[in-house]
Amino acid sequence: MTTLDSPKTTAAAATATLTLDGATVEFTLGETLYEVCQREQRHVPTLCYDERLDAFGACRLCVVEVEGVRNPVASCTTKAAAGMVVRSNPARIDKFRRTLLEMVASENRETEVDAERGHASQELSGLIERYDARRDRFRGKQSGKSKLDDSNPFILRDYDLCISCYRCVRVCAEQEGDYAISIKGRGFHTQITVEFDGDLRESACTFCGQCVQTCPTGALADKKALEAKELPGEIELTRTVCPYCGVGCSIDLMTKGDKVIGSRPAMDGPANRGALCVKGQFGFDFIQHPERLQHPLVRGDDGELRRATWDEALDRAAKGFVEAKKNHGRKSVYAIASGRAPHEAAYATQKFVRVGFLSNHVDNCSRS
Amino acid sequence: METGGTRPGEGTSITTHDEAVAAADKDIIEAHANEPAPLLPLLHAFHDRDGFLSEAALRAVASGLRLPLADLYGTVTFYDHFARFPPGKAAARVCDGPICMLRGSSAILDALRKDGATPMPCAGRCDDPCPVLIGDQVLVGSSADALEERPSKLPVPNPGGYEECLFAAVRDPARKTLEGYLATGGMQGLARAVEVGAASVIDVIKDSSLAGRGGAGFPTGVKMQAVRDAVCEHLPTTRYGARKYVVCNADEGEPGCFKDRVLMDHDPFALIEGMAIAALATGATTGFIYLRYEYPQTQNVLEEAIAACVARHYLGSDVLGSGKSFHLYVRRGAGAYICGEETSLLNSLEGKHPFPRNKPPFPTTHGFDSMPTLVNNVETLCALPRILVQGAAWYRDLGLGKHAGTKIISLSGDVQEPGNYEVPFGLPLRTLIEDWAGGVPQGRKVQAVTMAGLSGGFLAGEALDVTLDEASIRAHGSFLGAGGIMVFDDSRDMVEVARQAMAFFAHESCGKCFPCRIGTQRLQERLEGSAGPTNHDDFLAELGDISEVMMSTSACGLGVAAPLVVTSLIKYFPDAVAAHVARTRNR
Repeated sequence: MTTLDSPKTTAAAATATLTLDGATVEFTLGETLYEVCQREQRHVPTLCYDERLDAFGACRLCVVEVEGVRNPVASCTTKAAAGMVVRSNPARIDKFRRTLLEMVASENRETEVDAERGHASQELSGLIERYDARRDRFRGKQSGKSKLDDSNPFILRDYDLCISCYRCVRVCAEQEGDYAISIKGRGFHTQITVEFDGDLRESACTFCGQCVQTCPTGALADKKALEAKELPGEIELTRTVCPYCGVGCSIDLMTKGDKVIGSRPAMDGPANRGALCVKGQFGFDFIQHPERLQHPLVRGDDGELRRATWDEALDRAAKGFVEAKKNHGRKSVYAIASGRAPHEAAYATQKFVRVGFLSNHVDNCSRS
Repeated sequence: METGGTRPGEGTSITTHDEAVAAADKDIIEAHANEPAPLLPLLHAFHDRDGFLSEAALRAVASGLRLPLADLYGTVTFYDHFARFPPGKAAARVCDGPICMLRGSSAILDALRKDGATPMPCAGRCDDPCPVLIGDQVLVGSSADALEERPSKLPVPNPGGYEECLFAAVRDPARKTLEGYLATGGMQGLARAVEVGAASVIDVIKDSSLAGRGGAGFPTGVKMQAVRDAVCEHLPTTRYGARKYVVCNADEGEPGCFKDRVLMDHDPFALIEGMAIAALATGATTGFIYLRYEYPQTQNVLEEAIAACVARHYLGSDVLGSGKSFHLYVRRGAGAYICGEETSLLNSLEGKHPFPRNKPPFPTTHGFDSMPTLVNNVETLCALPRILVQGAAWYRDLGLGKHAGTKIISLSGDVQEPGNYEVPFGLPLRTLIEDWAGGVPQGRKVQAVTMAGLSGGFLAGEALDVTLDEASIRAHGSFLGAGGIMVFDDSRDMVEVARQAMAFFAHESCGKCFPCRIGTQRLQERLEGSAGPTNHDDFLAELGDISEVMMSTSACGLGVAAPLVVTSLIKYFPDAVAAHVARTRNR
């Protein structure tokens, strides 16, 4: 049994050295060979790897040679050990990687996919290009069957593009804790699905979108962002913080021209590390919604709202506030800001109440 | 998922049909939920009751064991023998293993197909084909109207006159009861183990050179020592507390292997005694026999034997007065070759998706429930009692020349006398085939044999001069493995045999690692001529690249070994391969 008086780990983690491509490299005990290669800026390709998840060892692209071990080892699941002699990219390994990419490419309908599909959607096509993998080898049956009739509004289930890396399954279980995604069947006939092959809406899915963002082929895709794929121009990403609640998830807001087309979780967001909820992931279409209020309205004597100028509207509001304060005191005003408003508006709202009325009667709908 | 409650205002005295079903489901769950490794027995209980696993049953199991429903659904679909819909278990499964395909199983399948029969991979009756599994009954016969239940074929008396370890007493019908087992020298090894203690037992086993007979050949004594020395600190408490386990791998799924079945059917107490010895040596208190689905009668034999041993204190909370406890359970698989891979097997036992685990850590420190676990094959465990009684030197000397010990070979195919043979390591393969088993049919020649069931690929030509030991066989790029050898005479189409073999590996690939998942499929397609280059050089280049990447980068032994069928086919039968490519060109 582990006891309280067992030796404490020292502040400085224990280190050792190994030989990587002929150079002596220091590492921290517990690190994997993949992590060492990353730090030493070796290019080691992966498709099943997501640094937030337990290393899985499925794609085998990250194999490296370790002296004294007959077969190459998966660097993602192999712990670095003192004195190891590792070669990250000898010609033999390079050939294996290319062959593996050609095999993976052969099981899919296509490998070039729209960047709107998701954060990691270009990983496979990027590697195919980098390794100059041939698309015409290893022809045969295709794996995975798309379920395009799933009526949910958020996630496209285009499994024709699935390569069974299980990142969606694992992110759903390990990160989100939903355990909504199933692995049906086995071997080449493996199919990513949910319980009893139903629609996502009848499953345990909460539409957090993490499966979409970790998918390396675009098999799971952001339906809403894809609606904007015909818009001209490149996708621009702007780092901001999701306004919907107090967690403070970092997001990259996706725009094309002056249009917001979607949002993506920031993989390096300190509060969320790539996680979002359904609102932060998919809840931004109100910005361009046709029913959105686009100019001030004031209520006429007949009780109906009519379009007004900003000056008129602001005068009307100011008058109302002044009257309320005069007749009922400074605590008669309570402001509540909307989670759909920008942070600047939320800041201005609390400033307005605190400075204008000397009160703390202010809140935000997404306080948590 | 409340299914049993009643809403306020509803009559409470009337039990609806749904409530009755829910109550029955609950009874099944309660009967199993608190035993170790409950998922498989629970699923089998529903599968036996209904003939298939209904949505309601899976919902009940998920909620009863607190498993995510999606996870459970996926795991159930992994197993070939779990049916989700009628006719399910009632429909016949007909063996389409390599030997049965030579013996008319296609015709049996065709005859039974109208009743929903489907093929199943090799069911381990290659010495007595063709097996048909109907419900929990295994029938054998050469045509659909000649199917009957027959006991596992006993090995013939050793044709070479060599002394045996495992089969020494197996032909004695008395061995089937505990009384008979005791009267023929049984349980003396266990008594000896209790007397000399764990350290001495491990020393004897190390000294005997016994190594894993499931195929991997890891030294058994060294593995026992590792489990004995392992500390349970990494997970201080689990559901069952910190403890060690012994797991018997009886998931004899390798096509052409049927040796474990004969040991368990005819000498079940030897396995139990071996496991009890292993438990005493390692400090394990709980054991499982993970038995393949296709051996239902064996399950009855084992469970009756275990009950007899518990009653006489050879198992239970005080084994032979040693003060040590060892509780043994049989767990039935559900049709997945990969569960013969030890870490897949452990995941299956734990109720997880049966993908192999990444190693290290190894089961000796992180096995069942992440606890130190000794996983050994039936044959390995069955050897322990006699080694303890007769001594390490006796066992070593059973081998020929510098080789130590014996190996059971399951020999089948085109030989006069197929069956299990306990051979001394180092025996020439030709002696086994020609002298012991009567050779191929009159007028025929041996064209090729498979090694390690199917995993070792083919040997042919001069390679047939190997002796039966790993060093000799590995020199030819193959391996002895679990000891299945299938013989094909010169009338057989080896490309077709290779196609069937690759169809098996593709069917059984778990789908975790890319090279095996895609590679087995692509190799199968090329061997059946349904896809791939029709130019000979391109054809060979694709086969070569796929095989090389599978052998070098696959995550477990299945993917590493599967391409041997292809590489050995190309090596020994280049003309047949060229003719095959030419045929696909003309198609």
